[in-house]
Parts: sequence; C-alpha cells; structure tokens
Amino acid sequence: MTAVRCIDLCKTYRQGDQDIKALDHLSIDIEKGEFVCLMSPSGGGKTTLLNAIGGLDIPDSGEVWIADERIDQMSKGQLADLRLANIGFVFQAYNLIPVLSAQENVEFVMQVQGIPAAERRDKSHAILEEVGLKGLETRRPAEMSGGQQQRVAVARAIVSRPELVLADEPTANLDSKTSAELMELFTELNEHHSTTFIIATHDQRVQAYAKRLVRMLDGRIVGDAEQHAA
Amino acid sequence: MNIVLRLAWRNLWRHSRRTWLTIGAMVFSNVLLVFMISLQVSMYGLMIDNTLKVFSGHMQVQAPGYKDDQKMRQVVHDVQPLAARLRRELDSETIAARGWAFGLASSAERSYGIGIYGVEPEFEPRVSNIPGLIEQGRYLDDNNASEIVIGTMLARNLRIGIGDELTLLGSGVDGSFAAAVVNVVGIFGSGVKEIDRNIAQMPLGAFQDIFYMDGAGHQVVLLAPDLDQAEFLQASVEAAVSDNGDLVVHGWDVLLPGLKQAIQADMSSAFFMYGILVILVAFSVLNTQLMSVLERTHEFGIVMALGLKPGRLGRLVMLETAMMGFIGMILGALAGALFTTWFTVNGFTYPGMEEMVSNFNLPGRVYPRATLVSMFAGPLVVFLFTLAAAVYPALRLHRLHPVEAMRTN
Amino acid sequence: MHMFFVLSRLAWRYLWRNHRRTIVMLSAIAIGAWAMIFMTALTRGMVDQMIEDGVSVIPGHVLIHDPDYLDDPSVNNRVALNDAELDERFGDAGFVSWASRVRVPAIVTSERESRGVTLLGIDPQAERGFSFVDYDDVDGRFLEGPDDKGVVLGAKLADTLETRVGKRVVLMSQDPDNEIADRGFRVVGLFHAEMDATEESYAFVGKRTAQDMLRIGNSVSEVVFVGDDYRDVEPIYEKVAALVDDSVRVSRWTEVDTYLGTMMGMMDGFMLIWVIVIFLALSFGLVNTLVMAVFERIREIGLMLALGMKPSMILGQILIESMMLLAVGLLIGDVLAWATIKPLEGGIDISIVAEGMEMFGASSTLYPSFNIDDVILANVVVMILGFLASLSPAWRASRYEPVEAITKV
Repeated sequence: MTAVRCIDLCKTYRQGDQDIKALDHLSIDIEKGEFVCLMSPSGGGKTTLLNAIGGLDIPDSGEVWIADERIDQMSKGQLADLRLANIGFVFQAYNLIPVLSAQENVEFVMQVQGIPAAERRDKSHAILEEVGLKGLETRRPAEMSGGQQQRVAVARAIVSRPELVLADEPTANLDSKTSAELMELFTELNEHHSTTFIIATHDQRVQAYAKRLVRMLDGRIVGDAEQHAA
Repeated sequence: MNIVLRLAWRNLWRHSRRTWLTIGAMVFSNVLLVFMISLQVSMYGLMIDNTLKVFSGHMQVQAPGYKDDQKMRQVVHDVQPLAARLRRELDSETIAARGWAFGLASSAERSYGIGIYGVEPEFEPRVSNIPGLIEQGRYLDDNNASEIVIGTMLARNLRIGIGDELTLLGSGVDGSFAAAVVNVVGIFGSGVKEIDRNIAQMPLGAFQDIFYMDGAGHQVVLLAPDLDQAEFLQASVEAAVSDNGDLVVHGWDVLLPGLKQAIQADMSSAFFMYGILVILVAFSVLNTQLMSVLERTHEFGIVMALGLKPGRLGRLVMLETAMMGFIGMILGALAGALFTTWFTVNGFTYPGMEEMVSNFNLPGRVYPRATLVSMFAGPLVVFLFTLAAAVYPALRLHRLHPVEAMRTN
Repeated sequence: MHMFFVLSRLAWRYLWRNHRRTIVMLSAIAIGAWAMIFMTALTRGMVDQMIEDGVSVIPGHVLIHDPDYLDDPSVNNRVALNDAELDERFGDAGFVSWASRVRVPAIVTSERESRGVTLLGIDPQAERGFSFVDYDDVDGRFLEGPDDKGVVLGAKLADTLETRVGKRVVLMSQDPDNEIADRGFRVVGLFHAEMDATEESYAFVGKRTAQDMLRIGNSVSEVVFVGDDYRDVEPIYEKVAALVDDSVRVSRWTEVDTYLGTMMGMMDGFMLIWVIVIFLALSFGLVNTLVMAVFERIREIGLMLALGMKPSMILGQILIESMMLLAVGLLIGDVLAWATIKPLEGGIDISIVAEGMEMFGASSTLYPSFNIDDVILANVVVMILGFLASLSPAWRASRYEPVEAITKV
C-alpha cells in the first residue's frame, strides 16, 4: 500500500533577486512501513519536500497524496486535521512548547484530538518510558538536555500512532551517542509498529539506519536505492 | 549626528510597532490633557468673569457684617460721595455705588418677592454686564427717576411689559413700611434663571427715597481692569477707606466663596483623573523599556564584555526613552492643540450642559482656547513620568553579569 | 468546551512565562480599574446625595399641577381638583404616600427684615414620611395639623430676620384677585437642613390656614406622590396619569427639577466616558503586551500549527490570554477599590469647599457609594473593549504560515 505519493512537484522560491528551484518536477512513491532517508546538501530541497508531504507547504504544481487522499488542494483546516490524526513531526529544534512539561507536551496532540484524560495519561506514561524518559515526566523543556528534548518530541510524534512520521534534521543538535540512541528508537518503532518514517538529514550517521536512501540535488532526485540497515 | 544619539535612535525603531504603540499611549493622554486643561482654564475664566460681572465685581466696600447678613440697616453712609471720592482717588471709572432691598413687586395681576438694586445709572454699566443685556426698552438714565428694569422671566411672571407700572412694597432702613409705584422702562435677559426671575434695578436716588436710606447705600462695587490686578487694587481701596472704621473691603473670593471653592473642587477631581492618565502612560513606558532591556540582555552582555560600563548602557536606555517621550510630547501637544482648536471654532457642548453649568453663569456652549501653558503643562508632566518610568529598567543593567548575559538567548 | 480548557491552560502558562511584563501590565490594569470604580463611587455618591436631597425638597416623585403652574407658580394656577375631590380620587387608590399642598411665593417680614420665601401650606401628618424636615429635630415644635396657626422657618432664615421661636412674623403674598394677602404668624419652630439655601427658602404653615389667608377655599397648588425609589417613578406616574384628565399636568420629578434630572442622566454618561477613557489609555499597553507576547513565540505558534492546531485555536489562545490578563487585573482593581471605598462610606468631610459644593447643589459631606452595578458595568465594558482590542494581534498570530513561523529566528 502506498503511504505517500508525490507526482511532478514543483516549488520555486525567490531569494533576493534569484529564483531557487526547491522542487523540480519531482515524483516519488513511498510504501507503508518504509524507512526513508532524504539526503541532500543544504538547499537541496529535502526540507521543502518534507513540508509538502506534511501539508505545511503547498507546491506550485503537482500532486501530493497521503494514503488515498490528495492533500495539495486541501484547506488549512483540513490539513491541520490531517496532521493531527495521521502525521507525526520531529523538527530540528524548538520542538517543544516551553510552558508545558514533558508529559504535557506528549499529551498535547491527544488533548487537541479530544482523547479522555485517563487514556492520555496512560499512553503518555507508556511512550515516555519507551523512549527512556521515565521519571522526567514533570520536567519543563528548559530543564532537560537536548537529547532528552528530542526524545520528548519523538514521543509526542508517535504517541497517537500516526501512520507517517516526518523528521527534519532530528539529530542536528545532538552528540553522536544521543543521535545513535534516537535512530535506534526510530528503527525499533518502524519495525514494531510498521510506522512509515521519512527523515531529512545530511548527517552521515543517520544514513546508516535508512532502509531506502533518496538523494536529492537542486530539487530533483538523483539517487534512490534500497539498502540494508547496518 | 553623535554616534550615541544615532545608536539610541536606531534602537528605538527596532520594534517600530511597539514604539509607536507606546508613543500612541502618550499622544492619547496628551491630547486629552491639552483639551481638558484648555477647556478648564477657559471655563474657569468664564465662570469668574461672568459671575463677577453680573453683580459682585472684583471687590466691594461694605459695612462690616453685611456680607453674611445682608441686613437693610448695615449701610454705607453717603455712598455716592464715597464712590465719587474713590473714582477720583483711584483714577478709575469702574466704581459704582449700590443699595439693595428686598420687596414685593406687584403688577395688576401678580405679586412676587424680588431683590431690588438701587444703582447709579451712569456708572453701573461700567461694573456690571446687566445694563448691556437689555432686550426690550432701555436702561436707566436718571438717578432720581421712578423707573425700573427687570428680568425677562420676572416680566413674564408679572405679565407686564415696557411702560407698565409696578408697585413695590417693602420695609425701609428703619423698619417702617415702604411703598412706591415705578415705571418699567427696560427688560434684560441674562440667560440665568435666578437672575432673570428675581432681580430688578432702579436708580439709586429714587431707591434711597423709597426705602428712607438718607443718602446711604449698601455697597460700592469696584472692577479691576482684569483679575490679576484685583489684589493690587484692593490694597489701594483699603488704604483709601482706612480712615472710616465702619467700612470693610471684601475681595471676590470672600464675596463669593462658593465660586472659588467650586473651582477648587472641580480642579481636584480633574487632577485625580489627570494623575491616573499619567500613571497609566508611565506603566506603558515601563513595560516597553523593561522588555526592550530584557530582550537585549545577550547584546548588552557582549558590549559589557567589551568594556562598556552598565552606567553608560543605562544612559543609553534613558536616552532612548527621552527620545520616545519627546516625540510623544511634541506630537501630543500639537495634536491636542489642533483638537482644541476645532472646538475653539465650533464650540464645545454636550447634551445637558446648559442645565449643568447655568449655576455657574456659563453658557451652554464654550469655546476653549489652547494656550502655550495649557498645551505643554500636561505633556511635560507625561514626559517627566516617562523618564521616571525608565529608571527601573535602566538600573537593572547594573545587575547584569556579562558572561551570564551572553549565554541568554 | 474541552478545547477551551486546553487553550486556557496554555494561555495561563504563557501569561506567567514573562512574569515581569505580566506584573507591570496587571498593575496598570488594576490601577485603571481602581480609578474607574473609585472615581465613579465618589461621583455617584455625590450625585446620589444631591438627588436625594433635591428630591426630598421637591418633594415627591410624581406631581400634579395646573398646566401653567411650573412656568408661573402663582396662586392663580391651582390644581383643578379641590381637597375633597382629591381625597375621593386618590384616597383609596393604594399610593404609598401622597399629599396635597399650597405652594406660593411669599415674603416674610419680621420687625427687622424682609425676605422672599416659598410658602408651603401642608398637612404635616400626610408628609411626615417624606418631608425633608425631620419633625423631631425642630427647635420648638413642628406644625401639628392643617389648622395650625403657627409658622415653621429655617434656622438660617430666622437668623437673618432676627426672629426666634415665640416671636411674630408677617407672611405676605397675593390672593387670586391680586389683592395683598397677609397674615401674622407666631414662629413655633425652626427646622434644620443640610444646605443653607434650603433653610433660607421655605416657610411651613398649616394647609387650611394658608388656604384661608390666600382666600382660595379648599384648593391647592400641587399634589405630590412619593414611591419607594426615585429612580423608578414610571409605575406611579402611569397610575396617577390614569386617574386624572388633562385639566391638570402630571410630571415626574425630573421634569420639575431639570437640573437634578439632567444630573441623574449625566452621571451614567460620565461614568461610561471615564471607563472608556481609562480603557483607551490602557489599551495601548495591552495591545503592546500582546504583540510582544506573540512576537517572542512565533516559532512555538508555528510548531503548534505544524502539529495540527487550527489557526482558530491560536486565535483563541491569544484572546484567552488577553482576557485572563484583564480579568486578573480587574479583579485586583475591584478588590482594591472595595477596600479603599468601604472605610470611606461613613462620609468624607469636604466642608472646606462647602460653599462651592452648594453651587453644584451638593452637600459638604461626600458619601462614596460602592455601587455593584457600576462595578459590573466597568468590568464588562473593559472586557468587551479588551476583547476587541486583542482581536488584531490575535488574528495576526493565527495567520502565520507554519513553515515561515518555525524557521523564523
């Protein structure tokens, strides 16, 4: 089953007096349960592609399908609902809401979804334990290390069991030990829950965990290969 | 431009929306202050002027005790010669003698109790504006004629007009029965109910005959060229009558204590309101400058690490505030003056104002005028409070440690 | 509802993230709210007192007169119904209290002085409940019935006339044929009132004695009806109007004393303007605070949008934050106002400006009144206006594109 399908996407930005083609007639299919790594030098278009798939950014032309829904023509409200229900996000930084504790951050999405308090508490406890943060539930983001913060972000992204997790440079601010742990976590989740992962990165350490490696340059796919995880 | 000035100026516009909002608070308050103060100054001036020019004048020479009791027998003897002497000695024409009696005025159909003034037809127009308010007929002209002028409402209530006879009944200075028939020659309209309903004026000579005054009256009224000179004039008058122990001189504030107190009461409530406005602006500034200092912690840390002393940074913050306050002051004063000028042309009124202010002899529409003082008094105070509000944020800089500050993002 | 709680918690936490700014803004709102309520309480207290005093002097909340009486309060303009007809018509109609009275201008003369007064011919028993004279606080005694042959004067007037209890005075007015109607009275009592003007203006005699003196049979000048609350006279007005034809004029007290009537209407207008002015002075700071609060968390807003929060939720969150800020500030201000007004409710002595206050028609003791309706109005107006002022920053916050917001540095 196809989790994500992009057909002939184009997106141009203006930077200064220059047009930059972030996506240039790009097409890609990603099956459910895949673990995809998007690689490109900065400015190569990987973040733009990720944002287009997440409905955060609308391409100039082309089609984006999530499962069997076309999303590039959806309204802002529909997109918000889609993200809320089906997609988990992990960003490079500023992932967490600073005024909420770790547990509250994890519960946040569920809260907006309207899940009852008891269920929220159970799920968030379980997931925080799963990402190795047991005992830190009441800490605020400012009281946690960068790695711990990213784990909270991952916990939040996966807690409502989305079919698709999008991560943009999730390891950028982490040391190698912590990034390895994070990637192990991703792999485990991918295997146990067959969640589809799409990770945009230029971190060589991350590539090693990918099952499919997509290389991009100037908005085009220049390489797409299955690989066996290390 | 000096580099520090330029730096302060640029800093001010880093968050232009915030700066404008803060200046907006100043301008709003300043416009109100300028307008309200201009309006107050104009109203108080009118109140004093109108009230004094109706009857009391700037001061009066009276018998001791007359002010409180207004008794018929508390007289000023030989009042006209006294007035003449004062006119001569003080070289002023705005001095007039008067008598006052209470009596019953009867027309063919109606009787009302009224206050009757005996006045000098030649000099009364120079101390009071009633003679200038004649709407029908004419004012008095002969000191001994049996004539009278009355207010519009009294004329209507008595159902009489020009040329009709009016019978006056009362008691003379010795308590004896006094009666006379006089001719209505004029009707005045001041617009103030109490005056138009209750007051009549007749020649002093005839008045003295009717009430057996024997050349006496009750007051000599004096009008100074303007309010500021009243005090000086009063001193000369006191000197001039000091040889006569039966006379006292009372200034307008003693004659009409209510007027001054009404102004004081009104002013204190106005100052309370102004104070609140100014304080609210100060809080607005405090908030803005506190934020502006806190968000630059990192930046301040760097320049302090480079060797700049907190005091200099504090002065920079004060300078920024002063610039902002100065813009607020100038814009506010100008906008306030403009706003006030609109009312100078069109007049200021509100529904019910005529009822409200007629107690103070004010018309139902006033024309406030912005002066340099009314334009800058309020804005200047706002400016000073603005500076004061920035002191706390500026002093906070002394608590800054460069290394910690640089670590803050 | 659920979403409201989610957003409320976020808003509350954000409110305290920058606690310095919040405290400064809270102080400003609290001071503003305090000033609104405190000032209103003082003014309301003064106006209430003025109106209560004034209405008690009129007296009556609804009055019946001859159609021409208010313009020309002469003995010729009497109510078309005589005492017997009035009793028949209103006696059993269920009015709380009512009375018919003779009320004409007159002159009172002692052996020393004459003064104009309003002569009131009353039935003392009928007016006991609402007369401005406290029958038990009279030097000497009050009138005992409609046939009483004595007169009760104000203490101040007696001073001026140099008369006292036990001495005789002459009251003089006119009869319907404009013949002088006069009669000697023994002064049986002197009453006291809050204001000098009241003590100087009224002379009470028995109703039938007055009717005899004025030769008007058993007719009267006015009929007064008093209800429970001077603010709500419509029920009585309608009841009275239904019982009479147009040979008489039925008036509310606001029509009889237009100054007081205007005052009452103005009070609410003044209150609203004062609340709005303070709010506007606050609004700049409020909008500024919100703009800063949004500015410093653009990225977090982007994040929430990316996570699937709808723009309307961001809008709601900022609005709730603003409402919370206002509500807490208002609450503090309300408590502060309550705490400062309560100890003053016994009255503030402002007798140093007593004569000035009398010009306004107010007495020399100010009783601030913490009126719950005023407090509610002030709070509601601020919340509504605050909501409107917050819309723009909140709207802007909700319009961010998630991608742009999240990448903003």
